Amino acid sequence: MLAQVLVSSITAGAVYALIALGFVLIYKGTGVVHFGYGDQVTFGAYLVLIAQALIGLPFWPAVVVALVASVLLGALIYGGLMWPLRNASLLAQIIASLAMGTVLREFVRAYMGPSAWPFPFLLSPAPISVFGILVVPANLAIVGVSLGVLALLFLLFERTFHGKAIMAACDNRIGASLIGVQVSMVFLAIWILSSVLATVAGVLVAPLLTLSPDMGLIGIKGFTAAVLGGFNSLPGAVIGGIVLGVLEALAGTYVSSALKDMISYGILIAVVLVRPQGLLGVLAMKKV
Amino acid sequence: MAGRALIVAIAVAAFFIAPHALAEFHLFQICLVAGTALVVLGLIVVTGFAGQISLAQAAFVALGGYGSAILAARWGIPLWAGVPIVSIGAFVVGFVLGQMTLRVSGHYLALVTLAVTAIVQIALIYSDNVTGGAAGMPVPAFEIFGLTLSTGAQLYYVIVPATAMLFLAVHHLNHSHYGRALAAIRQSETAAELMGLNVLRYKAAAFGASGFLGAFGGGLLAPLSTYLDPAQFGITQSVYFLAVAVVGGMMSPLGALVGSIVFVLLPDFLQAFQTYLGLVFALLLLGFIVLRPEGLAGLRLPKGIVAALPRLGGERR
Amino acid sequence: MTERLLHVDSVTVRFGGLVALDNVSVDIARGTIHAVIGPNGAGKSTLLNVVTGLYRPSEGDVTFEEESLSGRAPHLITRQGIARTFQNTELFGEMTALDNVVVALDSRYACNGISAALHDGRWRASEAEARGEARELLALVGLSEDQDSAAAALPFGKQRRLEIARALATQPKLLLLDEPAAGLRAAEIEALNRVLLDLRTSRGLTILVIDHVMALVMAISDRISVLNFGRKIAEGVPEEVRASPEVIEAYLGKKAAHAFSA
Repeated sequence: MLAQVLVSSITAGAVYALIALGFVLIYKGTGVVHFGYGDQVTFGAYLVLIAQALIGLPFWPAVVVALVASVLLGALIYGGLMWPLRNASLLAQIIASLAMGTVLREFVRAYMGPSAWPFPFLLSPAPISVFGILVVPANLAIVGVSLGVLALLFLLFERTFHGKAIMAACDNRIGASLIGVQVSMVFLAIWILSSVLATVAGVLVAPLLTLSPDMGLIGIKGFTAAVLGGFNSLPGAVIGGIVLGVLEALAGTYVSSALKDMISYGILIAVVLVRPQGLLGVLAMKKV
Repeated sequence: MAGRALIVAIAVAAFFIAPHALAEFHLFQICLVAGTALVVLGLIVVTGFAGQISLAQAAFVALGGYGSAILAARWGIPLWAGVPIVSIGAFVVGFVLGQMTLRVSGHYLALVTLAVTAIVQIALIYSDNVTGGAAGMPVPAFEIFGLTLSTGAQLYYVIVPATAMLFLAVHHLNHSHYGRALAAIRQSETAAELMGLNVLRYKAAAFGASGFLGAFGGGLLAPLSTYLDPAQFGITQSVYFLAVAVVGGMMSPLGALVGSIVFVLLPDFLQAFQTYLGLVFALLLLGFIVLRPEGLAGLRLPKGIVAALPRLGGERR
Repeated sequence: MTERLLHVDSVTVRFGGLVALDNVSVDIARGTIHAVIGPNGAGKSTLLNVVTGLYRPSEGDVTFEEESLSGRAPHLITRQGIARTFQNTELFGEMTALDNVVVALDSRYACNGISAALHDGRWRASEAEARGEARELLALVGLSEDQDSAAAALPFGKQRRLEIARALATQPKLLLLDEPAAGLRAAEIEALNRVLLDLRTSRGLTILVIDHVMALVMAISDRISVLNFGRKIAEGVPEEVRASPEVIEAYLGKKAAHAFSA
């Protein structure tokens, strides 16, 4: 019984991890926390629906169109919003990313209606029994993709020159540009990459959560996972997601199912107060 | 001094003439603007003046609305007493919340206040024997001096003066050592600390003020809407109040008023486009934060500073 | 009365593996101007931060008027009588010069919340008193005409003096100055020297100043301590320090030290 709870919870954990990866990618890459990322994930899934409804495409071509559109969206968000505000105060940037998310959410609510849409699963949603424990292939896809994305991003940041350039650009904009790193191009690449990741996450997650304009509120869970794992650590995002999923499932089973969410938010507040660098993150010291 | 007395005289005259010159619908609108402005004023104190981002305003509004309604429904405490009582309680809650600024700021603070709003909303839905749960609860009638006030025209006589007095108090406090302290903290926390200011206590007090004003506004708005629905007190609402503050102008009490007027009257102009209302609000927020972050009410800076420089939020990254 | 106002007692400050201050002891006598000099990175700013409570010493203690300061919050240390200025002026840029000083006076003059909300007689009185003393302090540092200008709009030399006026508003017994002469022209340095010497004689203020600029340090200091790599390497009156081989070596290297002592 406990084993079943744990295995099922890893699904939820993988969802959180996938979203957390997007947050951490943007933060590590550009130093900005994108409060509207959860809504971008939702928007990605809706892009597929719009491609299907508007252009009449079958599912897979619609996904391709959505991915292309999200490249444009990422570029638009960077060029139209984050780049103009690159020297603005922290408050303005936080409000801007919140606003971006709200615009996407309200757009979808106005044009596609406030009620839920069914979204097709990529893999079979029928559970199969593995050693007596029920496992759902569709959920395994999410876990697999999360790990795959993590591996890809990890390689990008740690092993390639481009990755190191990104880290340099984020740490010290002026210094990086002095050694020839074109900072704005780096940031643009990150925003496009994270936008595509958002659509991928949306396509995987929408069938699970049922697609509606407010699905983006899952973003807070992704946030919690990122904070739990350490906001500047990619592996931390995945570990944080899994840990959150497990803790939530345990709380839901043994404490109360209705208060499951409240416990997650409580975990967030506790982590932020007690150990803000999370499990794997590094605490930065401010020099006077 | 004569000029100021004249303005006050005109304002008082306008206050008494309006109910005879305007229709019920417009008076209702005025009450709505006043209540919203009060809530947003609280946000301006903590996020504009003190520079501490807060997405918890919807939670304080819920405390005010639900708190006073429950006190009236269960313990017979009339709303005119319940609203101030609950607001003082909300000040305490805000003050405690503000203690967290010792450990967190910026992104993490936004996140924590977001979580607080979510937690309060879940608590409201979960405690259905007290709050009516997801179905919500009706707001008891507003009774004072043996009269029952239920229409906009009637509640006008309570909501508008209360709002005006609180605005005046905040305006005065802003032009006293409290306002100076918050401005100092916003511009350089380190220097403020070393000038003898207990920075943590001021930040916590700012949060407390946002709680007090948010709850008071919520308590005044509740009898207007006559029904409390937990769906009205979530993260979307916190962002809505933030939008009103940004568009109106985060740095002055006037901004709360201007923003509320815009956001309350806009739906009337967009009658045909009801479904797009949320999108319009979101686009307004986005547009203003990029193009005119100081909002409509704008900034007034002492001589020498280029006024066009957007200075929302104080310290740069 | 020449007694020990500030006693830094074997203070060591470590940041992870980095040792910023290594077993440093300094005594500041009341009513004197004491300078701390040394090459960049010697630990001078760290010393100031420890005294004002922004950093906690890993070892050792700081006593002020024979009372330990360890563990005390910065704003309380300020209230006890220690004020400081900053290397990068941390003025409240958007506020007027006058308001910058008034903020520092508020902890002494401020009325209660009710009076402030009502803007009543008591509030008016406290505001007038605070503004009055602020004007006096601005006059002391020669900034009377600039009282209504935004602090960020003032030229650099005046900003430095405003910082000093603001620090004085907290009625300190000890004033800590963090590189006050950096970036100033010769005439501005002379004006600053006059202000500082005047503060010592007319107000009996004790001053601890960190700086590189010898035109200031040699002109006004009663005693100088020299730090290098977090350690104190020399101490004495300006003439002694100027001739000390350790000091010359720290600044100019071994060859120069040999050349000078030969």
